[in-house]
Amino acid sequence: MAGNLSSLVIDTLCDEPCEEEIAIAMFYCDFRDKGEQTTINVMGAILKQLLVRGEVLEHVRKAFQKAKVEVGGRGLRLPDMVQMLKQAVAILPKVFICIDALDECLPKNLLELLGSINDILGESPRMRIFVTGRPQVEAEITRAFTTSVTIPISPKAHDIKRYLEKKLEMDTEQYAMSDRLRADILRVIPERISGM
Amino acid sequence: MDYTTYPHSISIGDSNVNCGNVTNSNNTVNVNKIIADENPEIMRWLSPLDPRRRHQDVRIDRLDGVGRWLLETNEFQEWRRGEGGAGGAVLFCYGDPGVGKTYLR
Repeated sequence: MAGNLSSLVIDTLCDEPCEEEIAIAMFYCDFRDKGEQTTINVMGAILKQLLVRGEVLEHVRKAFQKAKVEVGGRGLRLPDMVQMLKQAVAILPKVFICIDALDECLPKNLLELLGSINDILGESPRMRIFVTGRPQVEAEITRAFTTSVTIPISPKAHDIKRYLEKKLEMDTEQYAMSDRLRADILRVIPERISGM
Repeated sequence: MDYTTYPHSISIGDSNVNCGNVTNSNNTVNVNKIIADENPEIMRWLSPLDPRRRHQDVRIDRLDGVGRWLLETNEFQEWRRGEGGAGGAVLFCYGDPGVGKTYLR
């Protein structure tokens, strides 16, 4: 699921013809980078992907120039970042934000991140948010957003079969395989796993 | 539809992204037009992170057809079309470790 599903959604949004203009920003949370994946850095990474129009860039450039003059280039604060994101989302016709593996965020960052997104959403209800994570983050999602649509992900027989086919193709010891064994593998494992 | 062989790419090594640069798509705002890439100083100021690289890694490993069921759900389609206004803005897909990470990578 993690990564795979999000990347599929992002590519689908990017590729399929859509009647309206859209802008897409993505983020993959990763516990290995959790030190660097602070809320402000994540929101900044999202904003970078939304700089698809001159007007949006102009707002950011102004804020950058101002920060540079103020204290010789002081760092950004989260409210400034959220403000810039609000401006960007308001300018762009339709914004999709996809965030993968929320459970890999540090708990304090997660609440702050979801709160910031909800803050932006409050001003731009057309924005769409796609998030994935383990079931335990559902409580945080429910807390941060007044409403959300949830879809449980369970292993799908078709997906498992597809995966096994690929692994069998890549098997370096083909001599040990027979058609019958292959057929059994492709039948039994997807049944067992998807029935869990 | 083949999800891994379509002609879009995200180049690695610089921050120039081509995502959704597909003919017959009439999306005019797209990730492939990140004009701010010409402003590296501003980019660094905004964030040191570049999630587009991770996206590229993940999509290379993705198997065709895996996860497509999600795209066919009513929930996903309604979310995407923007039905339900603010109430339908957030779509959360959840699963235990092992439902995808372990089996479907």
